[in-house]
Amino acid sequence: MSAFIFKRAGNGSSLISQYSRTKTRALCFSQPLHSFLDSNQNSKVLDSGYSSILLKSLKKPRGSFWALQNSSFLGSQNQHSFHLNLKGWIWAGQFGTQAAIEPCTSDGLTVDGITGSKWTILEESESDWRSHAAATAQSIQVIKKRLQWKKLMVRLDMLSVELNKPDLWNDPVHAGKISREHGSLMGKIKEVKTFEQELLEHIDMIKLAREENDSELESESMKALLRMRRDSKDKELEALLAGEHDSCSCYIEVQAGAGGTESMDWAAMVMQMYQTWAQRRGYGVTVVDEMPGEIAGIKRATIKVDGEYAFGYAKAEVGVHRLVRISPFDSGKRRHTSFAAVAVIPILGDVSTHVQINESDLRIERFRAGGAGGQHVNTTESAVRIVHIPTGITATCQNERSQHQNKASAMAVLQSRLDQLEMAHQAQMNSQHTQSLTEISWGNQIRTYVLHPYRMVKDLRTNYEVSDPDSVLEGDLDDFILSYLSASLDKDDDEQ
Amino acid sequence: MMKLRLSGLSCGVCANFRRPISLCYSNSISSSSAEVKPKIPLYLRPLSFSASLSELTQWHKWAKNLASSVGSSFVHLDNGPDSTLLRRELNWLLQDLLELQHHSAILSHLESGNSENVDVSVALRAPLEELYCVWRQRIEERRPFQYVVGCEHWRDLVLSVQEGVLIPRPETEMIIDLVENVALNKFPELAKGFWADLGTGSGAIAIATARTLSTHAHAHGRVIATDLSPVAIAVAAFNVQIYGLQDVVEVRKGSWFEPLKDVRGKLAGVLSNPPYVPSGDISGLQAEVGQHEPKLALDGGISGTSDLLHLIDGAASMLKPGGFFALETNGEKQSKFLVDYIENDKPGSFCNINIVSDFAGIQRFVMGFRQ
Repeated sequence: MSAFIFKRAGNGSSLISQYSRTKTRALCFSQPLHSFLDSNQNSKVLDSGYSSILLKSLKKPRGSFWALQNSSFLGSQNQHSFHLNLKGWIWAGQFGTQAAIEPCTSDGLTVDGITGSKWTILEESESDWRSHAAATAQSIQVIKKRLQWKKLMVRLDMLSVELNKPDLWNDPVHAGKISREHGSLMGKIKEVKTFEQELLEHIDMIKLAREENDSELESESMKALLRMRRDSKDKELEALLAGEHDSCSCYIEVQAGAGGTESMDWAAMVMQMYQTWAQRRGYGVTVVDEMPGEIAGIKRATIKVDGEYAFGYAKAEVGVHRLVRISPFDSGKRRHTSFAAVAVIPILGDVSTHVQINESDLRIERFRAGGAGGQHVNTTESAVRIVHIPTGITATCQNERSQHQNKASAMAVLQSRLDQLEMAHQAQMNSQHTQSLTEISWGNQIRTYVLHPYRMVKDLRTNYEVSDPDSVLEGDLDDFILSYLSASLDKDDDEQ
Repeated sequence: MMKLRLSGLSCGVCANFRRPISLCYSNSISSSSAEVKPKIPLYLRPLSFSASLSELTQWHKWAKNLASSVGSSFVHLDNGPDSTLLRRELNWLLQDLLELQHHSAILSHLESGNSENVDVSVALRAPLEELYCVWRQRIEERRPFQYVVGCEHWRDLVLSVQEGVLIPRPETEMIIDLVENVALNKFPELAKGFWADLGTGSGAIAIATARTLSTHAHAHGRVIATDLSPVAIAVAAFNVQIYGLQDVVEVRKGSWFEPLKDVRGKLAGVLSNPPYVPSGDISGLQAEVGQHEPKLALDGGISGTSDLLHLIDGAASMLKPGGFFALETNGEKQSKFLVDYIENDKPGSFCNINIVSDFAGIQRFVMGFRQ
């Protein structure tokens, strides 16, 4: 075990770097770091200094990526520290494992340290920096948990091993996928790290301001801490939606279960619930496909929900929804139980990740007016159904007003269904896939809506319940969705 | 006889929906008027009217019930629309009537039937009385939906249409695919020439062709659209303007090739969906077609081929060598007849003659190249 400590004297700042279990790689790492620091260079030069080391370390099959990751962190962190000129850092970590760096204040306080010291969290209005800092640190812990921090690090490690394989770019599609995912994970990690750093910087500032009796700086920093405390609440929510496709728009599909008109009416109510929910969230909603029931309701329908994080939220609704009520379609006024299945399909934004569709694999069926057609017939019906012959997957659209547009919409649905199928195939690689309607078993009930003999909506996964079914059916779903999303992350965490 | 007011905003229709329907509108077009002003389609009119949400809900409920009352009676009568389709049309009517960003919210409010916010005022592009009137026309008089809203969605276009102009059919969308896939892909230089859409009606083929030509690099192709009907001329010109194609599409009034003497032997393409319904079939047509669409655009003479033959004759003299033509026909019988005519009566004029089926498998189009 060896440790290197670099200290840089001058304008009051010290830079401490500590490595444990460094091996030879760290030794060669340390040399230019040392010289660059001593020659008082800025962080840009630091970055390039590291990259030259990287060339050496890249040749080593394992752990070398961590040099890459560390270097980028060191670069950015130094940028901060040099600007502020009063920063102290401890880098502690093991190459080849995870989370190499732990930012801290000049007196060694870390984010974990803040939560550990259990400072009392007061109301936001109380001007107490410890309270703001503790609240923010607590949020950071929640964010990390929601991002599945440990898993994230393991995945990053796996990806970096992949990235360092010399034959990676023999398969450019795979390579693109890997490097995109790597980039996105790095982005998430960096965001959290930067946030942590910012918190610690403000704490340093406050302490400094007190030492030097600079009341202006103190109030500035206090304000900044409060701002962070508020931001961190939004970030907590964002972190719930950190899945690969969560930011995508999506299709929501509802299908009536067995039970005829009563079930079809229920399916229509469920679809209506999602339409209102989506509109309230400010999403664009379009009905793509709708097969109405003979008497009332729908047999099945597909809507497109357009907007950021539509899939991230809606995916919490996948499964079977059960209704208990006195059926308005039963003259005997008996109590009925009906089911509706809900599927959610992400609409992948990145065209390059789409499954390739061969035109020759498609059978395109259009609505045909019987008889002579052409000038003989004037109909606004222009439904298009597309069958993907190899998989048997179909998509139908009849709500657009021209055949051309119906075909385009149906193709978009088909594309997303095929993408979803592909995701299912890669399920072990990618846990983000949601079940399609055909995969959902009717036993998989996620929520019960009771209108009679008592009134209640209860989520069977989280046990979250409300006593006002009307508001839920009018689209008030956010609490159900959020409680499911956080519960499912907690569950994942326990399984780790 | 009530004169048709073609002026845009009032849409020339009923001031009071309680009046007898016959006074609501008239579908006769005075052919004497030299300058026809095209009607502004509903979706382009300003939001100058309003109704409370409860009034709109009431109308919507009434309209939906009227649509539902039809069941499948029109289907049995003359293969007309059923109530499912009519209810979908009702949604589209709302789409055109309301402000785009509020459409889905209001629609889902109407569908859910909840009674909140009934006093909220909703901005409309037509007065509620007119809506009662036009929806009754749609159901009771079988007035085509496209005339009710004043537009037809065709390919990726939204074309203004009104009484006196044939509503473009989905089958005809394929003519543009033929231009793209058969003519331009094989002979890109055709994209630089003059194209003609004869009997253009709403201007559908001409506008879509112009847009296709413009996707070809360095293309300076032009389209000339002709029609005998002054209403068609006015509507086609309006649609050309909507798509900003005044510099690419020229609309000329006259019968078939008559206004094209200056480009004789120079055309790169001749396209047309001429009248091809045999005269004897006109009386048995679906009500939306037979009772509302212009006979001028439908009736193709006793066998339905008189205009098609005239177009073949004209294409032989108007197309430049290598020029492309595509014509829509009534089906197998007419298509085969035309091919026979070309081979026997116009030997050496054309080559690569083909019959192309529409999506329903009906042999709908005849196409080929000038020798």
